[in-house]
Formats: sequence, C-alpha cells, structure tokens
Amino acid sequence: MSMKQAGGNRKPGGGGSGPAAASGAGGGGGAGGRQNLGRGRNSVKGPSSIAFNGVYANMRMVHVLTSVVGTKCELKVKNGVVYEGVFKTYGPECDLVLDAAHRRCLEQGMGPRREDIVESIIFKASDVVVVQFRDVDLNYARKVSSDADNFTDAAVSARLNGEHKEKDLEPWDGGDQHGSDSLESLDTDVSNGWDPNEMFKFNEETYGVKSTYDSSMSSYTVPLERDNSEEFLKREARATQLAEEIESSASYRARVALENDARTEEEKYTAVVRSERDTHSLGSRENKYIPPGQRNKEGMSWGTGRQNSPRLVQSSPSVPSSRPGPHDYSPSSGTDQRVVNGGPPRMSPKTQRTPRTHRMPSARGGMPPGPEFMAHSGDVSTTPPPRSSPSGGTWSSVVSGAHRPRSPRQNGLGGAPGGSSPQTATAPVDPVATPVSAMSPTAASPASNRAATPLTEAKESRVQEPRTASPVANKENVKPAEVSPGPARALSKGPPAMASEHRKQIDNLKEFSQVFRLQPSSSPDSSVFDQMSKPRDQGEKPKELPPDRGAESCGTTAPEAPANEEKASGPTPTAGGTTGSKPSSPGASGPCITAEQKRGPDVTSQAVQTSGPSGKLDGKEVKDDKKDPVPEQVRKSTLNPNAKEFNPRVFCPQPKPATTPTPPRPQGQPSPSIVVPQPPTVYSQTVCFPQMYPLTPVSPGVQKSIIWKPPAMYHVPMPHMTVSQTKPYRAVPSMPQQRPDQHHPQGTPTMMHPATAAGPPIVAPSPAYSAQYFTCSPQQFTSQPLVQQMPHYQSQAQHVFSPVMQGSARMMAPPAHGQPSLVSSSTTQYGEQTHTMYVSPGPMPQPYSHPGAALHPQPSATPTGQQQQQGQHAGSHPAPSPVQHAQHQAAQALHMGNPSQQQMYSALAPTPPSINPGPNPQSPQASFPSAQQAVYIHAQQVQHGYTPSHMAHVPQAHMQSGMVPSHHTTPSHPPMMLMATQPPGGPQPPLPQSALPPIPVSSTAHFSYMAHPPVQPHHQQQL
Amino acid sequence: MAAPGPGEYFSVGSQVSCLTCLGQRLQGEVVAFDYQSKMLTLKCASSSGKPNLYDVVLINLAYVSEVEIISDRTETPPPLASLNVGKLANRARMEKEDKLSQAYAISAGVSLEGQQLFQTIHKTIKDCKWQEKNIIVMDDVVISPPYQVDNCKGKEGSALSHVRKIVEKHFRDVESQKSVQRSQAQQTQKDSALSS
Repeated sequence: MSMKQAGGNRKPGGGGSGPAAASGAGGGGGAGGRQNLGRGRNSVKGPSSIAFNGVYANMRMVHVLTSVVGTKCELKVKNGVVYEGVFKTYGPECDLVLDAAHRRCLEQGMGPRREDIVESIIFKASDVVVVQFRDVDLNYARKVSSDADNFTDAAVSARLNGEHKEKDLEPWDGGDQHGSDSLESLDTDVSNGWDPNEMFKFNEETYGVKSTYDSSMSSYTVPLERDNSEEFLKREARATQLAEEIESSASYRARVALENDARTEEEKYTAVVRSERDTHSLGSRENKYIPPGQRNKEGMSWGTGRQNSPRLVQSSPSVPSSRPGPHDYSPSSGTDQRVVNGGPPRMSPKTQRTPRTHRMPSARGGMPPGPEFMAHSGDVSTTPPPRSSPSGGTWSSVVSGAHRPRSPRQNGLGGAPGGSSPQTATAPVDPVATPVSAMSPTAASPASNRAATPLTEAKESRVQEPRTASPVANKENVKPAEVSPGPARALSKGPPAMASEHRKQIDNLKEFSQVFRLQPSSSPDSSVFDQMSKPRDQGEKPKELPPDRGAESCGTTAPEAPANEEKASGPTPTAGGTTGSKPSSPGASGPCITAEQKRGPDVTSQAVQTSGPSGKLDGKEVKDDKKDPVPEQVRKSTLNPNAKEFNPRVFCPQPKPATTPTPPRPQGQPSPSIVVPQPPTVYSQTVCFPQMYPLTPVSPGVQKSIIWKPPAMYHVPMPHMTVSQTKPYRAVPSMPQQRPDQHHPQGTPTMMHPATAAGPPIVAPSPAYSAQYFTCSPQQFTSQPLVQQMPHYQSQAQHVFSPVMQGSARMMAPPAHGQPSLVSSSTTQYGEQTHTMYVSPGPMPQPYSHPGAALHPQPSATPTGQQQQQGQHAGSHPAPSPVQHAQHQAAQALHMGNPSQQQMYSALAPTPPSINPGPNPQSPQASFPSAQQAVYIHAQQVQHGYTPSHMAHVPQAHMQSGMVPSHHTTPSHPPMMLMATQPPGGPQPPLPQSALPPIPVSSTAHFSYMAHPPVQPHHQQQL
Repeated sequence: MAAPGPGEYFSVGSQVSCLTCLGQRLQGEVVAFDYQSKMLTLKCASSSGKPNLYDVVLINLAYVSEVEIISDRTETPPPLASLNVGKLANRARMEKEDKLSQAYAISAGVSLEGQQLFQTIHKTIKDCKWQEKNIIVMDDVVISPPYQVDNCKGKEGSALSHVRKIVEKHFRDVESQKSVQRSQAQQTQKDSALSS
C-alpha cells in the first residue's frame, strides 16, 4: 500500500479506518496513540491543503525518513512484536508503511515464507515503538551536487527546468589587469598556428614520416605552359577578363562574401558585444588566425568586419547619434534598419541570419536594430547613413528589380527582356542580383569595395550619386512637409496620372524628384528634416551612402525611380508648393525619365556611367538581366556593375560597420534561395524607396501624412530611408546640381534611391511611394480585375515585403495560403487589399495593432523568416481564405485592414513564388501587387509606428505605410504598374477613390494607393 | 521522556541515549525530531561495522524512558541534500522483489544454508535467482543443494570459478562466524557468571 492509500484509508474512516488498517496488517496495532488522533483528524482535513502537516512540516524528519526509503527495517510495535519489511513510505502522522513485511519469527536466519509476507502494512505512529534501519547509506539517494558536477551540461540544464531563455550575454570584464595575462596573450599571439613546414619537420623527426607534399600539385594538375605566343596572350587576356567579370559580378561577390565574411563565427553568432573600450581588442584580432579563405580579404574586410561586428557598432559614435535621431525616428529608424537587415537576411536563403537578427534584437533590445542592425548600426555608427546604406542596398536591388520589370513594360519592353513573363523572370533575377550588389556594396567594407572596384569612374559616379541621392533625400524631406498640405491633390493627381500613363507619371516623378531636390534644400523643416538633421550631423557619411544607394537604386531601379518620380512628381508638385514642384522637377524628372526610359540596357549603362554604385547595381542587374533577356546589356552592365560595386564599397566605408555586415547578408540572401522570388521583393522594396520619393511629392498632403507614418511603419526601410535621406538632404544642396548634370539620367533614379536610402527618405520616400503607389495602384487596380493579377499582386507585394520587410519569405509562404483565396476572390481581395492599405494608414491605432503582423514579417528576414512571417501573418490573420478574410477584414475596419493586408500577403505570397515568373507575365497583376504591397507595407509601417509609439511616430508610421506601399509598388510593382497600370486604366477609378479618402491623411494616401475602386469602399469602411 | 520544548531538546547533532519500554537501549546522534508525533530519529554506527553506513533508528518517545542528552550540539546542522526520489522508489521496489523472490525460494523448502548462500552471492552478483531449490547464477552456474562448492556446476570458465570462490568464502565466513558466536556466547556466559 502506498502512502496515499494509507492516507485514503484514514481519511474516510476519520479515526477508525486507520486503526483497522493497522490491526489488519500487523495485528499489533492496538489502539495505540490516541494522541495522534486529534492531529490525525486535522491532518485528514488538511490533506487537501498544500500546507504540510505533521511530520511533513519537519524538514529534517522528512529528509531522513525519505533517505531510508527502500531499505529493510525492523519495526517493533508496542506489544513487542517485530515486523520486518521494506520501508516504503510514511504519512504526515508519521504512520509508517512497510512493503513485503512479515512478522519476524523466532527462528533465526530463516527467511520468511511466501505466505508469511504481507504486501504492505501501515503502522500507526502510536503503535510504533522503535524502527531500526540497518546499514543504511544515507547518501544513497543524495543527488550529486558537488561543485565538480555543478557545471556539467546536465547540471546546468537541470536548473533551466524547461525555461530556454536566451541568456543575455555579458562581456567579460577581467578588470584592468592586462598585459601578461594569458588571455591577453591569446589576443596578441600573432602566430598563425603551426607552419606547415614545421609540421612536416616534426613528423619527420618524431615519426619518421616524410611528406610527399608538392606545392605544384603535380599529382593533380598539369602546370601551365607559358609562352609568348599571341594565342597564349590572347587567351590569358581573355581569362583575365573573364575572371574580372566573374569576380566583379554581384552574385560572385555575394557568394564570396558569404564565405569570406570577415566576421568570425563567434562574432556573428555568439560574441558578446563589447563597448568601445573593448573594441581595440578587435584590432588585435587582425593578428589572429585567419582562415585561408579570408586572408585575401582580410585587409579590406577587416574594416568591414569590425564595422559589422556588434562591438564596433556599439563603439561607433554614430550609432549614438543615430539613436538620438531615431528617438524621433529611432523607433522607425531602428525598426527600419532591422527591417533592412532583416530584409536582406530574409532575402538571403540563410535562415541563420534571421535568427541572429531576431536574437540580437531581443537580447539587445536597447539597440535599435536587431543583431544585424547592430552590426549595421555599427557600420552606421552613422546609424542613419549605414541604415540608409543597407536599405539603400536593398532598395537599390529592389529598384533594379523594379526597373527591369518596368523596363519591359514601360520601356516598351523592347529593350527589356522580352515578354512580360520574361520581365517577371528577369525581375526576380535582377532583384537577386541587385540585392546582392546592393548588399555587397553596403556589406562590403569600403576598403574591400574599393579594392574590388578600382574604377575611378565608379568612384566618380559614387560621388555624383551621393550628391544626387542627397538631393533626393532633401526633396523627400521637403516632400513630406509639402505632401501634407496637398495630399488630396496628390492623390487625385497621382491616380489620374497613373491611369493616364506610366510614362507621364514617370515624368512627373522625375519632375518631382527635381523639385524635391530643390525643396529639400529649401525646406528641411519637416519633422523628417529634423530627423534628417541628425543624420546630417553624421551627415556626410549618410549622404554618401544615400548617393550610393541612390545611384544604385537609380541605376538599377531607373525604371522604378522614374515611375516613382512620376508618381512623386504628381504629389511633389502638390507638396512642394503644388504649383511649381512639378515644373521644377521636370528638369530632374527629365533625366530620371530618360533613365527610366532607358531602363533596359540603357538605364543600366547610364547608371554605370554616371554613378559607380548605380552602375554596379545596374551592372549586376544587367548581368542578371542579360542572362535572362539581354546579354549585351548585361555585358555593359557588368562594367558598370563593377563600378557600382566599388562605389557601394566606397560609400560603405562610411557606413562600413553597417554596410559590411549587411552586405554579406544581402549578398548571401540574394544569391541563395531568394534569387528568383526574393529578388523581386527586394526590388520592390528598393523601388519603393525611389517611389517613396516620388510619392512624397505626389501625395504631399495625404501621402505625406501617410508616408511619414509609413516610414515608421517601414521601420526597416524607413531607417534606411531616413538615414539616407538625412544624408541626401545634406548632400542635396550640392547634389542637385550634380544630379542634373551627370546624374540626371541616373540622377533621378539615384535621387529616388537616395531618398529611399536616406532617412529623410521617409518623407520623400513616402511621397515617392505614394506617387508610385498611386501610379501603381491604379494600374494594379486595373489589373486587379484579373484574378491572376491578384495573385501577382500578392506575390509582388510579398516580394516587396520581403525586400523591405523581409517579408519575401513570408510572401513566399503566404502564397499558398493566400493564393487560393485570392484567386477565388481576386476582386474582393483587391478591394480588401486596398482596404487594408487604407486601413493601415488611416487608423494609426490599427496599424499599431497590426504592427505585430507587420513585425512578424520583419522578423523573418531570410526566406525562411519570410515564410515564417507569412505564416505568422496567415496564422495571426488566419487568412486561410484570403478572399474571405480580405472582405471581412475590410469590412471589419482598419484593424481588419491590417489583417487583410496580411492575408493579402499570404494570398499573394502563395502566388508570388510562382508569380515571380507569372507575375511579370501578368504585368497588370504585378502592378496590382504593388498596391497590395503598399498595403502590406502599411501594416509594417504601422508596426514601426507603434514601435516609436510616439505620436510623431504614428504619423511617421503612416508615412511609412505610405512609403512602404510605394516601396512595394516601386520595387516589384512599379514595373508591374507600368506594365499593367497603364493598360487597365484602373488608376482613374482609384483617383475617384482617392477623392473619397480625404478623410484622413493616411486615408488619402491610401486612396492614392488604393486608386482602385474597391479601395475606396474599404477606405470608407475604415474611415 | 522529558517534556522539552519543541525546539529546545534534541537539537540535531546531539548525542542522545534512551531506553525503550521494551528494554532496548538506544544511543545515537539526533538526526531529526518531530515534537508532535514524538518521533526521534537517531543515527547510530552501523551494526555491521561498515564505516560509511549507519543504522537509523526511529523512536517513538511515547514509549521511551531515560532520555539523556549525552552531548549537545549548538552548531547549525548541515544543509540537507536533495534526494533522488526516483532512485529511492526504485530501491524500494527492488528490495521488495528480492524479498518476495527469496520468500518463494524459502517456501520451496530451501535450507537455511541455501538461503544464506543465496544472500551472500546476491550481494556480489545481482544476477542470481532461485529455480526450485537451485540457485542460478548468471544463467550459467547452477548451485544445487546442499550448496557446497562441489555443487557448483556449469560451463567451465571464469564464471564458474568465480562463483565457486564466492561459495567457498561464504562457508568459510560462516564457519568463522559460528566460532565467533560461540566464543561470544561463552564470553557472555562468563560475563554473566562473573556479574552474577
């Protein structure tokens, strides 16, 4: 009988059952301790209570009695009878239970017979006189708790008790003692392990083993016979050229970066972030063992590596500054950065990165960006710039993607890859390449970049680009302020423009970009400006970065940029002074437009020529494109790509910390899984930034508000945007001039990019976005009608997200979910999407709530992450049937809107994967997706906004949301938009809708985005 | 038994001596004392003389007289180590099974010598069991009554030789024990005679 049983018996019987049991068992249990009865009753009553009763309250008694459980014992009862048994347990009354007990016979030595043994006997304490446990090992059951065993895995994990909480690592502080310490010696030990010859010698002497190693590897290969023949020289030259081409390719660099990441595994995953004080130790690391693969890069990469390293980041002064900025922005910027970082990671196939980011954010918490961000921020130290740069990189990639898509459609497709489908395909590829390139630039340490890109042109282009970028940023900044004034106008204008023609829009955008530039210089007042100002402080660096970004984005996203610009132009006029912005912008826009028009090969070439960064991006993109559509272009681009790469790196140096870290990720991301699908997203994102600029102008009034908010929402993008923008702003003044001249073609794009990259971008971006959105949305809307388009939209949106938000993965995953529903209710979905879009902007609060959803996307930086995000979205929003959800959600309201967006994402996501190829074909749809993307963006933005939690943030969030959409649209959508939007004529309907939006600024922005009729209803609902 | 306050008497670590109502003198170190149930737990030197083992005695002070505190200990007792309850429960189960299996053997009519031998072998080799009146060790060696060394049969090998050694030693020990007991008995008789 077990204790419990015993207890049970007693309980029922009150006092009687106990004795009965005892007597029954042993017969010796007379009516013993009545004394206990009282207590017994009490205890009986007490059993239910947790409080320990009787003996159970006596720790030492419990301990000793428990220690002897399972031992044989002799128990004497009052009448002298002795029972032997195995001590089983005891009760609170100190009743004892013996198992296999028997009454000891007089006959010694004779064991009990089977029939003498009782299963178990309960002895009441009052009947027991003495119990003897013989030869007990009191330490038998003692858990090993010696110090020696305190740190075994088992001992350590045992204390966790299932709580697997990531520990916050703290840097070890050994005090001030240095020098002779062995620890220090480890850091300063320059020896690089055993020298091979030393090893050979040792083995020979010790073991008599002679190495047969031949450095010529004659056993494996044949030595190259060199001669001076023309043929050989030709071949050699050819080989050299090919090698250069390969090594300058974005994909190559991205892959190499993955392998030769200056950061060690420890730094990446487990290193404790150290303060500046410790940073110097990093320097010592240079002397440390360097993996062979990293040795070449060491020189260059070190800088990046350091920058990348969290420690560096922390140490970097810029970070602090950035934080301050972020305060206003910080939330957004931080988030943005994260997003950016996340974006790349997400983009990249490597899931690890995402995890890191997640961890980093969680652990660091304080740090605005996630782990990646940290690293980036480190680079950033100039936080804003770095962020912007990273974002710029992504943006650029996005842009490039967008451009490609657009190029096909807009450019007349002639230049572009071919059919719409080809475009889509190319777009994806480009995105990948671009992301990589973009990433690489940023990621790559300045030094490395420089080294990699010796092209002076590239540098020049970089310089120009920065300048251009800065202008853009300025413009963007200005735009926000301006935007607020005349959102409605922008909306109205934007949509119509969209409807009318992408080209027109592009032109407008260009104009806007120009205007923006002008404006920026003139009016940095807006909150954005303030934020920008912070960046400005750090300014120059940021500016440079922005330019690069801008250049990149311009080059790659030339098409997008144009589109954005166009969009922006619409808004910008309104924003900038509604009156003259457009006129002023024309100059800038013109260039942009041209670039856009050229988009195809031309654009790339231009980008290359004008700006190294852009050129690089273009080149990379071009390469990708070439592969897909036009080889020639690719070749051209290749040259440019190199230049771009160089530029990025150059720029990166300033942001090095951030850039270096990011680059690898971006590169890795692009190259691996994402390649096709993700790239699009990336592009879309990048595009968004460019668009953002346009948008800001376009939707000065509404969009501005929205856009600003969106920035927050975009957090990820926003940060970049802000950063870059800030820089751009500063640069802007000077930049504008340059832009017009050299950059104009690229300039506009660059402008766009800068805006995206720069923090100020938030404002500018938002305008651009809005513009883009507007344009896109109309197109999208038109396209929306098509069921397929819906999916495309979704997919595109997803892509966009992934780039920006890291949502690409999500997008990917969602697709399956969303697609079904989307397909079924494409129209509804559209409407929903639009609604969602509106919702996010309009209902700031909702956005916040949604932010979570958006956040989810962000978290998943890598593809997997994206998927997760998607999944999350799906899960959170249960968008099993996107359509239903979308509808319902739309109806539900703003909150719903976010969900719907998510749903949309999910829905889109499903298609996206397939869409990548398909979307392009469905160009119209693609444009729609952009709209959807915008929506998604809003959600994200909302989240960002929430993170800021400040009212300002909220506005920003809205802005961001606007921005996001634009981004989305711009990147993937812009192209799409161009293609689809124009044809559908849907834009016009949206315009009307836009008119409806008037209610909230955000709503207006949404409307602009919405452009689609369905959206309007939604807006109304939301409103 | 005195009427000490709950916490005043029998502080852990004190040496206490007492006489039960059955005339048994017990002395040991206080390990635990529960005032309400009047249960006192003493830790005494192992009756078998093994250094790392103890005899634990649980005494109901209600049936005890002449409680004396030989030496008091004021130091705070050492902290209690956590116990592996699972291990204890397992031990209880094993002990019970062993006892029951032995009871079966006894029921089968195994001689006392056989039982003692079984106990001895079991201490060294856990893998032993009763098969009717035969002791099966490691499924290899069979020891049949009267359980002498010659009765150990099985495949020639280390197992058989090992078991034989155990059996041989067992009976040697038994013999020596008997002689000791005899001498002790004689001693006691002498003592009693002297005392008387």
